Amino acid sequence: MSEFEAYRGLFVAESRENHENLVKNLLILEKGSDQNAIDEIFRSCHTLKGASASMGYAEMERLCHAMEDVFQLVRSGTAEITQDLGDLLLACSDLLEQMIDDVEGGGDTSSLNPDDQVNSLKEWIGQRGGKPEKKGAAPAAPALESPASPVSEPLPLEGNVPEFEITVTVASECMMKDVRAMLAIGNLESLGTILTINPSKEAIDEGNFDGVLKLKIASDAGEEALKTAASGTEIAAVDVKAVVKQEAPAVKKPVDNDKKPAAAADKSREIKNLRVDITQLDHIMNLVEDLVINRGRLKQISEQHKIKELGEAIGMVERSVSELQNLMMNIRMIPLNQIFNRLPRVVRDVAIYDKKEVEFVIEGGETELDRSVMDGLNDPLLHLIRNAVNHGIESPDEREKAGKPRKGFVKLSAHRDRDNVIIELVDDGAGVNVEKVKAKAVERGLVTKEVADTYTTEQAVDLLFQPGFSTADKISDISGRGVGLDVVKRSIESLKGTIRVETTPGKGSRFELLLPPTMAIVDVMIVRINGRRLGIPISSIVEVANFKRDTTHFIGEGEAVLLRDEVIQLMWLNDMVGESEVCEILIVVQYEKRKCCIPVDLVEGKQEVVVKPLSKLIGNTRGVSGITILGDGEVVPVLDVNTIV
Amino acid sequence: MGKILIVDDTLFMRTLLKNILFSGGHTIAGEAGDGEEAIAKYKELKPDLVTMDVVMPKMNGIEALKGIKALDPAARVVMCTAVGQEQMVKLAIKSGAKGYIVKPFQAPKVLEEVKNVLAS
Repeated sequence: MSEFEAYRGLFVAESRENHENLVKNLLILEKGSDQNAIDEIFRSCHTLKGASASMGYAEMERLCHAMEDVFQLVRSGTAEITQDLGDLLLACSDLLEQMIDDVEGGGDTSSLNPDDQVNSLKEWIGQRGGKPEKKGAAPAAPALESPASPVSEPLPLEGNVPEFEITVTVASECMMKDVRAMLAIGNLESLGTILTINPSKEAIDEGNFDGVLKLKIASDAGEEALKTAASGTEIAAVDVKAVVKQEAPAVKKPVDNDKKPAAAADKSREIKNLRVDITQLDHIMNLVEDLVINRGRLKQISEQHKIKELGEAIGMVERSVSELQNLMMNIRMIPLNQIFNRLPRVVRDVAIYDKKEVEFVIEGGETELDRSVMDGLNDPLLHLIRNAVNHGIESPDEREKAGKPRKGFVKLSAHRDRDNVIIELVDDGAGVNVEKVKAKAVERGLVTKEVADTYTTEQAVDLLFQPGFSTADKISDISGRGVGLDVVKRSIESLKGTIRVETTPGKGSRFELLLPPTMAIVDVMIVRINGRRLGIPISSIVEVANFKRDTTHFIGEGEAVLLRDEVIQLMWLNDMVGESEVCEILIVVQYEKRKCCIPVDLVEGKQEVVVKPLSKLIGNTRGVSGITILGDGEVVPVLDVNTIV
Repeated sequence: MGKILIVDDTLFMRTLLKNILFSGGHTIAGEAGDGEEAIAKYKELKPDLVTMDVVMPKMNGIEALKGIKALDPAARVVMCTAVGQEQMVKLAIKSGAKGYIVKPFQAPKVLEEVKNVLAS
């Protein structure tokens, strides 16, 4: 089906939306019947079926069709969603997701066999007694105002109108022969009065139609017009024969086709949203970044040459570029719901697996984050949620013993706090068992017993984030996949975010993720050491102080200064930029609670820059998060304070 | 050749249909994503023909068809349907739909039906 290649992207995007809608509403249904959710699921299944059929993805169509059948039963009220059925349907939706993935990767779903799922669905329908009613597809539509009159018997005529016998044969390949017959009848009715009809309208309505329709009509439209009216798409043959009888002048029945609606000037509605391929957006973003760089460059040139007109023009360009940049940032923002929406499903699965009862609440899903941040957030969040249910929430019996409600509570919320987005995950479980954590850390050789004993709760909790640490005794299917919180922490840090934990034994834990809404543009301080320029992210700078070489103290192998009664380690960047003789200024940077100071020669100023990541070819570059190109074209490394401290 | 309003809740189907109709020399008057929008667009654009999906959010295709028919009894509406929806289509035809096309769409069939309904 290569003719549909062009639609692949669109198909994937919309199918994903429908799949998400499906899962979301399935979970709603598990909590209790909800007509709206049922309708939504039916609609999503139906749309997925239609789209996959159009693309020629037979396996996907088959699966959606079977799911749709089940939902027709649910919709008609003959069945309701039990947990078993919920499991089955969720398994189907998982396969559906795989199929969408397959299509996205260029496949056609033929490698994914839905037989198991389809058979289970059919079996389920079988147990309910019989096949789904086709009639269920019609949502309780109000009775028609104009019921079809029973025309199987001759009707009285007003005047002497010529009569015709018409035989209409519907093409054998027609998918809905009865519907075609109805259309033909409808068209003929507009030209005259139907006297007899075989099979009757009622029979056709019930689907009893073999493809040949015979009727008798009184009409003055003429043979040709009748023939035209009865013919149409998928009509194989029309035979019109005049019934011989006395001729008489007839009154022409007016057929008004030109009646137009009284066009009330109603507010017109337009399509307000546009779907754009994300790679195109990335490309535009790159161009905007280049513009930002060149804007800076132009500004510098104009300052050097002092051309007034040029300066003015650049001022204008600058404003436009800033606006464009802001706009692009906004366009790239996506509501967190895009990943939050998947999580109720995760909670449900883990809770069932662990035989726990959990109420999961999401708040603030409308908070927006840059797409690049969002991409990196999915896995860590998934891991934290699994952890909360798997390790945090106790079993219902344990909870009862502790005087808590049997049902555990997990809340995921997000909100914007000035320049950051804060995501919180709170549970009312057992909290982190500090002693167990310490013991484990000692056992794993992460820390000696003596040191561990001196740890505060906070320090002990920090151990959770050490590589190779896991408190679960066994690696479970759910949360222990060989990765621990250390991976979560690293992922969050790679997004320039931080993660914090607060825990109260017996009361629960609270994980807080602090994230920048975007990663692309960063405020940096441009400093000079030994003639070389470096960028330091403003967000990690806490202080700029004077520095005298002779005030340093040597502690062990390190060198430190005393600054406002605080001993802070010195971090010479000699390896990076060579040794400098001047160094009169200290930049104090902080990461979490650790500080260090970097001696520099000169602070040039603050600048908004676009940080481009280093290519993989350069390899591991500890201490540098990327490079930026300044206005004068110089390539300047930007420090990664996290790894320096 | 006619001016056609495409009503479907998915961009995918609308695009598919748009290209088929375009290839048949028709012009696309506009698109609508649900029944309510369909009625508003019909008023605004006065198309020669409407292709109407049946299952849609907010207002389904049958209700939208009735709304359009109330505005313009001569409106030409072709239902977009799928196997298994015979009853819905029959309901639509009783309510004044002039034709139907079956998903998955086959371009020649779609164009034939549109041509026939436009000629009616």
